[in-house]
Amino acid sequence: MSSFKREKKEEEDGGGNPFQNIEKTTVLQEARTFNETPVNPRKCTHILTKILYLLNQGEQFGSTEATEAFFAMTKLFQSKDVILRRMVYLGIKELSSIADDVIIVTSSLTKDMTGKEDLYRAAAIRALCSITDSTMLQAIERYMKQAIVDRNSAVSSAALVSSLHMTKIAGDVVKRWVNEAQEAVNSDNIMVQYHALGVLYHIRKSDRLAVTKLVAKLTRMSLKSPYAVCMLIRITAKLLEEEGDSGNSNNHLFEFIDSCLRHKSEMVTYEAAHAIVNLKRTSSRELAPAISILQLFCSSPKPTLRFAAVRTLNQVAISHPAAVTACNIDLENLISDSNRSIATLAITTLLKTGGESSVERLMKQISMFVSEISDEFKVVVVQAIRALALKFPRKHSVLMNFLSAMLREEGGFDYKASIADTIITIIEDNPDAKETGLAHLCEFIEDCEHTSLAVRILHLLGKEGPRTKQPSRYIRFIYNRVLLEDPRFRAGAVSAMAQFGATCPDLLENIQVLLTRCQMDPDDEVRDRATYYSNILSRQDKSLYNNYIIEPMKISISALERSLQEYIQGDTEQAFDIKSIPVVSPLAAEEIQTIAQKTDGMLSSTGPASKPVQASREENYIKELSNVPELQQLGPLFKSSDVVELTESETEFVVRCIKHSYTKHLVLQFNCTNTLSDLLLENVRVQVDPSEGYNIVKEIPCPKLPYNETGTSYIILEFPSDLSQSVGTFGAVLKFIAKDCDPTTGIPDTDEGYGDEYILEDLEVTPSDQIQRVSKVNWSAAWDEATEANNYSMMNIVFSLSSVSTLEEAIKNVVQYLGLQAAEHSDKVPEGKTVHTLLLAGVFRGGADILAQAKLVLADTVTMELTVKATEESVAELIVFAIE
Amino acid sequence: MGSSLKKLAFFLGIKRKEVNVLVIGLNNSGKTTVINHFKNDEEKVEKTEIVPTVGFSVEKFQNQNLAFTAFDMSGHGRYRDLWEHYYKDCHGIIFVVDSSDRLRLVVVKDELDLLLQHPDVSKRRIPILFFSNKMDCKEALSSVKIAAALGLDKIMDKPWHISASNALSGEGLQEGVEWLTQQIREYITNKNLKKFYRFIEI
Ligand SMILES: Nc1nc2c(ncn2[C@@H]2O[C@H](COP(=O)(O)OP(=O)(O)O)[C@@H](O)[C@H]2O)c(=O)[nH]1
Ligand SMILES: [Mg+2]
Repeated sequence: MSSFKREKKEEEDGGGNPFQNIEKTTVLQEARTFNETPVNPRKCTHILTKILYLLNQGEQFGSTEATEAFFAMTKLFQSKDVILRRMVYLGIKELSSIADDVIIVTSSLTKDMTGKEDLYRAAAIRALCSITDSTMLQAIERYMKQAIVDRNSAVSSAALVSSLHMTKIAGDVVKRWVNEAQEAVNSDNIMVQYHALGVLYHIRKSDRLAVTKLVAKLTRMSLKSPYAVCMLIRITAKLLEEEGDSGNSNNHLFEFIDSCLRHKSEMVTYEAAHAIVNLKRTSSRELAPAISILQLFCSSPKPTLRFAAVRTLNQVAISHPAAVTACNIDLENLISDSNRSIATLAITTLLKTGGESSVERLMKQISMFVSEISDEFKVVVVQAIRALALKFPRKHSVLMNFLSAMLREEGGFDYKASIADTIITIIEDNPDAKETGLAHLCEFIEDCEHTSLAVRILHLLGKEGPRTKQPSRYIRFIYNRVLLEDPRFRAGAVSAMAQFGATCPDLLENIQVLLTRCQMDPDDEVRDRATYYSNILSRQDKSLYNNYIIEPMKISISALERSLQEYIQGDTEQAFDIKSIPVVSPLAAEEIQTIAQKTDGMLSSTGPASKPVQASREENYIKELSNVPELQQLGPLFKSSDVVELTESETEFVVRCIKHSYTKHLVLQFNCTNTLSDLLLENVRVQVDPSEGYNIVKEIPCPKLPYNETGTSYIILEFPSDLSQSVGTFGAVLKFIAKDCDPTTGIPDTDEGYGDEYILEDLEVTPSDQIQRVSKVNWSAAWDEATEANNYSMMNIVFSLSSVSTLEEAIKNVVQYLGLQAAEHSDKVPEGKTVHTLLLAGVFRGGADILAQAKLVLADTVTMELTVKATEESVAELIVFAIE
Repeated sequence: MGSSLKKLAFFLGIKRKEVNVLVIGLNNSGKTTVINHFKNDEEKVEKTEIVPTVGFSVEKFQNQNLAFTAFDMSGHGRYRDLWEHYYKDCHGIIFVVDSSDRLRLVVVKDELDLLLQHPDVSKRRIPILFFSNKMDCKEALSSVKIAAALGLDKIMDKPWHISASNALSGEGLQEGVEWLTQQIREYITNKNLKKFYRFIEI
């Protein structure tokens, strides 16, 4: 009994861990033992274990001490003890990134990977790849190729997986191993086959055509490894998704995935079902068999299968509600599953698909165990609530109460942020929920440890609070933040208060008092903000309020920094022109979606979307365009268009166009791809026939375009001085010198080529190419101000949009064509309405501000009255006349 | 045997039958080929299969009842600085010179001088065996000329020996290693005798 007690106690102290008290310096001292001959394998193995333990505990090793230990360790190669040698491999792998000159063990490792001792070979390969850099890869290439096709499956797998890692440092060398990888795909060993497919795909993944061929070949032969089949399903699904619905050519791809639903391995059938329900193109008829697989898994005795099935159903509940409802009974059974993760997913799935009447019952069920589940699943619950709130606006108070209760509980940042996000979404979507929502958020920031979240909420209070019935009640909550430690809180609070001052005249005096107090703040930023706002507010000038408090400039910060740097270096006689800085357009909702879904690693199955990254499209192009010297004199890039396809899919040449607008110039960027393996193209350019008024300044052809590569040519045009001519249609022809060449080597047969051309589709230049969207929080204030100001011109027109039959469609077309941003959620039409007003804002190249109001009336067709106010008359004219 | 006798036998190096030697010299001088010659038939590699060493490789062979562990180092410029990591614990050095590579003889001399000046080598009486290798080549210099070019006569504090050799045929190799074996035995016995005297003084 007493000994039992002691053991128990030791366990609690961590006394069970023999390495608990080891220390780096002592262990490194001990590592000198490695230099002794003869080697004592037991002792050395023990010391190596300690080193590995320390490294894995996150202990930092300096490069000198790591190098010393590493070289001492290399002496252990003289011992033939198998266990010690394998520890040495691990030691090499761990120290390879810290120690210097680790390539010293290259020959020793190649000897082991090709030697007779099978226990060494696979591990030696893995160690070898960890010490090899791109300069040394050539030296071991021969061994790697042999190892990939080795009869020993562990060796082959190790070589394949290592190859995959090596693609990061020397992709082009690994590409040369494609034949070996191809051979390994035929292996009988399930792991080798899987890993070989991974390598093959990785080598080819940037080449769509090659992937298509790979998939076509592999789907015909039946792969033995279920892992490989799963991977093939993912590749196929990705291919299908990328090709979109371009005809029947990919029917066999879908058939392959569909056939996998009848595979004998559960893993494969699940993967296939998962792929099918996640494909955008899947029709409800195609969906049914996949859903029945998931339904079957819902009642499986294996928790992993139940989990997988319900998780997948949960993800597609919104996109395929009908199919998921078919599983309702199975999902109901899972609510009481002893695995809480499964239960949570089941309930939230039911919430997403269920009717308004079931909300209360299900919410009650969740609240019974919400405290027991992990943050990750709490986020799932929150997302379900968000969906519910949007679907059943009348239920907002039940849901809001639930959310605020969750907000008060313990939880990590992601969890809290998702709750706050949801409350914000509900507030924006449902005016009735605004006051309660803001009240909950106010309460939350009273005691919130996540600064960035609190600052976001303060910002929201600043935007929404002034427009509530009783703005003054929020000031106390905001001002309380000014008394806090963290200057970021205080700065956020100052900005929020200024919003109230600018919008609510009766509060101005009080706000000024508070701001004056803030000017004593110890923090620079807080004082600066307080001084700035206080000054502007003291001017009593509405237009100043609008431009400098309510709607501050939304310009690209990185572009501003770059321009300021250039300005400082150049002639500073003239004032800096802020209008020359490109504005950042708010991302459209779909754009955020696609960014979120982009995964650039290996293939991962589409899971919940990750956080969107806000990098503007122009920022991305600026880098590419900066390589073309001719474009540098055009000034800052104002706007880049979507990619326009100028060829039909599956033609010999693929040409895509991006229109870049500068203040006075239009640059057409043509990305051309050569899909003919027996042709080398030279001097590739697109000849355009611009509409009247345009002037071609320069053409920059692409000198050489080998098979399967994409080259770029440019045309620089000058915009017409008459703005109304800037909208038009350009004819386009692809011109090039073609040389026949050997398809395998790509070397041309002769030096002489022949000129040829290829007709492309016409290219449209629209107003949206010249307009950047601007998001206005308080559009009406800006509109009123424009009415009062004398620098705005106004144009008005009424016409009917005969080609559309719903208000949504009309709004979508107008927004797209004009490239303006809808403000105050006016792009959403409340259900059943036939009259709607769309509020738009933007800025024209050169800096003219645009506000537009479109009154839409739905009868048989849609009639629209469009009123445009712009700081330049010609811009207002262009917009009004372009829409016809 | 009583325990003190066992200790005595150990100190005199009678029990000790394993020794470490370091094989160095410029790249392409024939180091790996030399070592390969001594390996037993099972472990021997076809001469045509010998590829340039990257880093080092540990090889084992027997000679006259002594078990050698040889650290066959790479002679490429990039690795020469790394030889010193292995100086400390070796009992002998085999320095292979390509006697037909007159152009790089000065480089050989530089490397040799660096070796002799290194603290882990200069203070010890470790034996150095030179192979004046590739004696079969037409342009090969004699071992006497190599010794002169490298200034071997100035090495006073260490036993050294030079053998002309042909690593492909094996000519000259056995003679050289016999000398080295003899020297290492003496070196170890001497070292251990010193330890022993210190031991009995106490
Ligand atoms: N003719 C001749 N060639 C030799 C002799 N020893 C080695 N070689 C060749 O010299 C080249 C380099 O040998 P290697 O052992 O790899 O040199 P290392 O870089 O010093 O290890 C190989 O092609 C050997 O076949 C020799 O005694 N005579
Ligand atoms: Mg060698």
